[in-house]
Amino acid sequence: MNDRVVVTGAGVITSLGSGMELFSDGLYLGKSCAAPSTRLNGSLACEVPDFTPVPWLGAKGIRVLDRAARLLAVASHMALESAGFLRDAAPEGDPGVGLVCGTMFGGVHSIASFDHAGITDGPNGVNPADFPNTVINSPTGHAGIRFKLRGVNSTISAGLASGLQAIGYAVDVLRFRRSRSVLAGGVEELCEEAMSGFESTGLMTADESIRPFGPDRSGTLPGEGAALWMLELEETARARNATPLLEILGFGAVHDGAAAAAVHSKGRGAADAMSAAISAAGLRPSDISSVFASANGSRLGDDIEARALGAVFAGNPPPVCAPKAFWGEAMGASGALAALAAGVALQRGLLPPTPCYRRSEYALKLSAAAQEISSGPALINALGCDGINVCLVIGLCRN
Amino acid sequence: MQGQSGIGPVTAFDTAAFPVHLGGEVKDFDPVPFHRRLKPAGLGRASQFAIAAAQMAVEDSGIDLDEVRHRAGVSMGTTSGEPHMVERYNDCRKANMSAAGEVFSGYPCHVIPSRVATELDLRGVTVMIPTACAAGNYAIGYAFDLVRAGRADMMLAGGSDAFSRIPYTGFSQLGAIAPERCQPFDRNRKGMVPGEGAAMLVLQPLDQVRPGRRIYAEILGYGISCDAHHMTAAHPTGDGATRAMAMAMHDGGVSASEIDYISAHGTGTKANDRIECLALQHLFGDRAPKIPMSSIKSMLGHTMGAASAIESAACALALQTGWVPPTINYEEPDPECRLDCVPGQARKTDPKVVLNNAYAFGGNNASVCLRRYEG
Repeated sequence: MNDRVVVTGAGVITSLGSGMELFSDGLYLGKSCAAPSTRLNGSLACEVPDFTPVPWLGAKGIRVLDRAARLLAVASHMALESAGFLRDAAPEGDPGVGLVCGTMFGGVHSIASFDHAGITDGPNGVNPADFPNTVINSPTGHAGIRFKLRGVNSTISAGLASGLQAIGYAVDVLRFRRSRSVLAGGVEELCEEAMSGFESTGLMTADESIRPFGPDRSGTLPGEGAALWMLELEETARARNATPLLEILGFGAVHDGAAAAAVHSKGRGAADAMSAAISAAGLRPSDISSVFASANGSRLGDDIEARALGAVFAGNPPPVCAPKAFWGEAMGASGALAALAAGVALQRGLLPPTPCYRRSEYALKLSAAAQEISSGPALINALGCDGINVCLVIGLCRN
Repeated sequence: MQGQSGIGPVTAFDTAAFPVHLGGEVKDFDPVPFHRRLKPAGLGRASQFAIAAAQMAVEDSGIDLDEVRHRAGVSMGTTSGEPHMVERYNDCRKANMSAAGEVFSGYPCHVIPSRVATELDLRGVTVMIPTACAAGNYAIGYAFDLVRAGRADMMLAGGSDAFSRIPYTGFSQLGAIAPERCQPFDRNRKGMVPGEGAAMLVLQPLDQVRPGRRIYAEILGYGISCDAHHMTAAHPTGDGATRAMAMAMHDGGVSASEIDYISAHGTGTKANDRIECLALQHLFGDRAPKIPMSSIKSMLGHTMGAASAIESAACALALQTGWVPPTINYEEPDPECRLDCVPGQARKTDPKVVLNNAYAFGGNNASVCLRRYEG
């Protein structure tokens, strides 16, 4: 059960830039993407600007896809292309290629709109063609159809950790030989309903910047995007002459249990999840070169993560990047976005800056400038939403 | 097993504007006795169902959670999550009341397994797999993999869905809801009947089951596939359904000749039942019409993401008791559905190896293979 799982392609759409090149460059520019939304009454958010799927997908069949489905379809296209799958795609589709996508709110705007039409205009007032978009697995299903991905097609919901949990799930899919090649990651769209839910959590800041771990942090801003890796067993990748770039080394998922209902969590679940991922990778904490934090600027959540990092790394954590300072809290996509950012950092040997960072109230090596890191594995965190804590350890693939 | 129907007129909302009025609702559900830590009033109905089912499952298993909680998780499926949150939001909008946006903090479907984990104080992997009407089998499958990989010592696996006007409206507008009764595989079947409910199974590695505890069944394997064909219509050749069943048997190390009962997806719609029988034909050939294959949706309606979890529980019962449940309301055979659907009455067939099928929007197919535990 210890088959090596490697990354052979990636696709990403973010407020920071779409496609791996713009995304990678954007990570080192160190600028926050927070801006008044063009779609949501000028509310501050980290939106994917001017998103149009047509250049990637063509115009055909686009109309029925909601924003989440479009974001996911474009990211799928990019990841399949970069992994060399579109070039050799079989016309009838490939029963060995799967898609596992994490999402928190799914197509909630489609769901609410459908219901609103139903109660305003009566059952006959809804368009039956909109019904398929009301199931939570609709974005994943649509992408499966568009690219004829006939393998495992799963949607994963684990709150803010959905994207990272989807990657963990996909690793099991590969190790149990349930599919040969699996796209895995997350998607989230910004919409008024998700925004409402977000506002009501009290996590939202009125500030224009998100300052993870900062003493003056006042909350976070909602974001959106899609991020996918193509994951394969190393032997599969080598057999088709694909170049594995990164390797998935360890995964840990821990629930806070009854403590999730308590107001004051000591971060036990967060620390346990980090330790579980590191030990699943067969590593010790001192082997970790860098951390991609889950911190999004919230008072409690950042505090829990900082304490947990202190506990796991015995008071001396490696350099930390808090990437949500770039793209806000992208909910179900967050964990996958952070994972892709970690991959870029490992390949460049350079940890991206944390935008707007001034100082921390914790003993953490954060910086508003890029930091040099060793070639050791990176830890990625997606913590603390209704008790769910998920962590992943990845490393460079030695070719 | 008695062939009773739980289907009746919908009470959750007014169906006057609909051409159909039937639903498979859970009646007189009182969540209070099942909640020890969380207050049921603050939870959605699907979470309440899930917690109730989880408490019953743990009690039935006799497991002392203190012995396993650090390596015990929750894997669930759903179609709609907590749809009442969306309904409430829209009711406020319609009444020109300030739309209660806070409902959306309780909407994302991960809250269902997360609240089960909180209520029972479980610390392992907690995940929702919302793959619509096949979700329960997906959730059981993932839990099975985690147990088999040695990453959990106990998993609660199942599904939950609450009756909602959202899917009711959608299925009604697709003309998919039966007006009078649910008649899977009958020549004159007129559709499915939406339902609700939850089921949770306790999965453990065999070597950790205490001596003397009841074992309902052994999970041998599962298979998942995607039609990649259409969001709502099944693949015309039954491609994905066939592959999911074949993969489940392969995963479980059994051959088609060993399968002696199948719990059908069997929703009661024209196309779905026909295509499921077609898939059966591909795999089992001449033996297909001889394998008992029933649909308990004839009695419960289609409980959405909970359906395949409930049906897996029914399979486990069939393996333990030797009795396979019936398909009720079956009167006239359909030449396009050649099968033995165990019409009307449960039958003692002592099944040894069974399949449970589930198919969903998005072309998501999942089959689970279970075997009688012989000790």
